[in-house]
Amino acid sequence: MMIQLENVSYSYRKGFGLANIDLTINDGEFVFLIGPTGSGKTTLLNLMYMDLLPDSGRVSIGKYNSDSIKKRKIPTLRRTIGIISQKYHLLNDRNLFENVALPLHVIGHNQNDIAGAVEEILEEVGLSGLEDHYPQELSGGEQQRACLARALIKDPDIILADEPTGNMDPVSSFDLIKLLEEINSEGTTVFMASHNYSLIKSRNHRIVEIHNGKLRSQ
Amino acid sequence: MDKFLFLLSEGFKNLWRHKLTVFTAVFSVFLSLSTIGVLFIAEQNTHKLIEYMRTKYKIEVFFDGSVSNEQASQHVQEISKIPGVYSTTLITKEEALKIYKSQFGDDISQFLDYNPLPVSCVVNIKRKYSGYLHMAPIIERIKGIDDVDMIKHQSRLISRIEKFYEKGLLGLSGIAFAIILVTVMIISNTIKLTIYSNKDLLMALKMIGATNTFIRMPFILEGIFQAVLGAILASAMLYGIVYGANEMLNQITTYTINVDWMFLSWLFLIAVVISLFGSSRAISRFIK
Repeated sequence: MMIQLENVSYSYRKGFGLANIDLTINDGEFVFLIGPTGSGKTTLLNLMYMDLLPDSGRVSIGKYNSDSIKKRKIPTLRRTIGIISQKYHLLNDRNLFENVALPLHVIGHNQNDIAGAVEEILEEVGLSGLEDHYPQELSGGEQQRACLARALIKDPDIILADEPTGNMDPVSSFDLIKLLEEINSEGTTVFMASHNYSLIKSRNHRIVEIHNGKLRSQ
Repeated sequence: MDKFLFLLSEGFKNLWRHKLTVFTAVFSVFLSLSTIGVLFIAEQNTHKLIEYMRTKYKIEVFFDGSVSNEQASQHVQEISKIPGVYSTTLITKEEALKIYKSQFGDDISQFLDYNPLPVSCVVNIKRKYSGYLHMAPIIERIKGIDDVDMIKHQSRLISRIEKFYEKGLLGLSGIAFAIILVTVMIISNTIKLTIYSNKDLLMALKMIGATNTFIRMPFILEGIFQAVLGAILASAMLYGIVYGANEMLNQITTYTINVDWMFLSWLFLIAVVISLFGSSRAISRFIK
């Protein structure tokens, strides 16, 4: 699924957000977004899954675009996107199985399908056997992989990752990027924001740089 | 169907997950419904008392001395058609004499050689009135009838009782309304607290493509379950209070507190409406 931003600007009530962003990410591409804290990386990602709508310009994700999308269609769009964030947003009162199963409940799968799918995805991200563990019983790396499993379980066309390695040690960070590359190799578009240039420079992917809300280089 | 069952089970599980806030909400529903229930039972029994007193309200109408029993009978029929009149009893000159004799022991017609007592009529008032019973229009209508000489009534006393009853009803309704309002606020605030402590859940659900209805539903169901729990507890307590009070009353009087227990279904309905209103109000702050 292709992502396209055409002359997109967005400003917060309190201040500046993004200005005149033009960016195209092709179907199946792996792109890194690099920039310092506060440069607009999260805003850009939020615009991509239409948590924010641009003040001007247009965001297109596959057949959906920000000009014409109806509010009730936004959840449908998000079901095609797997979102991974630095804060994980795992639910502490639910175990790993329940956390990962949540997207399938949202879609309306039945319990038997869900059990099989969760087992499969936990094995894929290396969390087999931890189904009954609660998030606070998992390490930072395991929590991030749980977040990845939750994003992947619905078989998304796009992965948007917002500083997924922010709270991880270098080894776990490297493992996560390798995992994302594996997923990308199966055709999923991956767009990952990071401020850790040293981590991504050696990977053979396009790097987009953002600074003060403006794209610098692609 | 799977989605609905999931939401239903989430609503149930949330009761356990948010036990502290659930306890606060259930306790406030229980307290307010118990108070509303006690007010309702008090109102029901006061109403019965008022109805009993209304059976004692009487208007005595005396006709001119020249009016014959037949003429008076026609006037009495006219009186019985007045709205608010329950029944009329004609007291003929002869019957009046008998009553006089039974009360005073003397036959007045023997002293005077004629019967000086006028034909009269006793008017009973309808007791099934939902609100304030106005006696004045009935008396005015009777006064307007030909040949009516004198009307005896206790309208000032009745008016006082009725006004007191009416004010009481108004007061009780006001208190019940205030309690409902406060409960809505309490439920709304407890659900808001729950949502505040579950911001991760809202964020996660939004990110994975949950619709607003899907996000709202467990909180709304949680609110309904809280209300039903509160209503069950309140019903049990009200039943206990009435049972206990009747046991005590039985030892000193024949009067018993009568309750139409169907009102409990209203109590449940009120609880569900309150919780729906409270939880919808709370969640709408977070999900537009």
